Amino acid sequence: MMTEQKDKSSVDLFEHILEMKDTSELMVNLAYSSLLYHNKEIAHEVLVLEEAMDELHKRVKREALKNAACGQGSIDRAMVLLQIADSTEAIADGAVEIADVVLRDIEPHPVLHLSMMESDTMMATAIVSNNSPFAGKTIGELKVASETGMWILAIKRGGRWTYGPDEFATINAGDLLLVKGPSDAIEPFKCFISGNEEAEES
Amino acid sequence: MRMATRRRPRFEGIEYEPKSVKEMLTDMKDTSELVIDLAYAAIIFDSVEMAEEVEALEERLDKLLYHIRLNAMLAARTVKDAEQLAGILQVANAAENISNAAGDLVKILDTDIRHRPFLPFLLADADEKTRLVTVASESSLAGKNLESLNVEQDSGMRIIAVKRRGRWFYDPQDDFVLASGDILVAIGVEDGYQYLKDCAEGKKKWGEP
Repeated sequence: MMTEQKDKSSVDLFEHILEMKDTSELMVNLAYSSLLYHNKEIAHEVLVLEEAMDELHKRVKREALKNAACGQGSIDRAMVLLQIADSTEAIADGAVEIADVVLRDIEPHPVLHLSMMESDTMMATAIVSNNSPFAGKTIGELKVASETGMWILAIKRGGRWTYGPDEFATINAGDLLLVKGPSDAIEPFKCFISGNEEAEES
Repeated sequence: MRMATRRRPRFEGIEYEPKSVKEMLTDMKDTSELVIDLAYAAIIFDSVEMAEEVEALEERLDKLLYHIRLNAMLAARTVKDAEQLAGILQVANAAENISNAAGDLVKILDTDIRHRPFLPFLLADADEKTRLVTVASESSLAGKNLESLNVEQDSGMRIIAVKRRGRWFYDPQDDFVLASGDILVAIGVEDGYQYLKDCAEGKKKWGEP
């Protein structure tokens, strides 16, 4: 059983399922963010990611079935893998359903924004200033998540968004960050990235 | 109406109560996020109890959705109202669908464990990792509540459940006081986990680098 984890086709399959999991969670985060800000651009990205999800889902199904057909792992194993893939896809569909509300040409009900504001985990945007300790460093170097409690969902630079940046992504002065984290951590985070150290201490 | 009641017996006895849609929607959003985290934790740690909590949350979201629907119908007076309320219903519906997906995920536990030994391995490389941390008696975390510890802000780790003397506490809130012997289910990045673990083991003091 342990050796099956090493073979190439399983590694690829696992990687694709993991990508589906991470993408589906990013989509949910972006969908709720788009609702909070009534931001169509972010909502649109959810639809773009959905296409990537569909593609991945197809590949995962094919690979899982192929492995089972070739006798690499049991039918039950394939069923388990497909169940995870299906669930991530269903989670992604939920995100699309939310984004769809934002993309409609209807003025949103104020309750949508207000209910997002009251949430335990908040989304926020913040601009990286010139004297910010963040400027010019990568997300991994900065250990943003563990040091500030905030998760960077997207970076806007020169009018373009990059969604779901990884640890190697660099943060520059002037970047607009879309972040998610506990409500209490947002103000300190904003002070921190604006380079205002004193406020960060309070 | 009777048909609907028979098909979904858990709605029996639910009566209209004037709750704020805003509060219910916030609750649905928070729960839809928690339930995903819990579902993955359940399959990683092969925990039937966590899976049952996922199912309980799924049912709670069902009820919340039902109440939001009633409220929305009562609130619509004009076409514009109806259009806007349709958006609220769609978001509530989406949150419920997300929780249903989490419910389907934990059904994996019905499959014999011999067919899924790879699950913890498969999910170990996710962007956010799900880990267990045990609070030692000499830990600076013991005896403090989650509000004063500010765990998520200071380590990036979300504590989604705590096991104490065989009993689970899910989604512990600010006033929850950690005790030695507690097993925490925490989600976050690797270095946040290391820090939380070192503090839980008493190797580091919470709040110090």
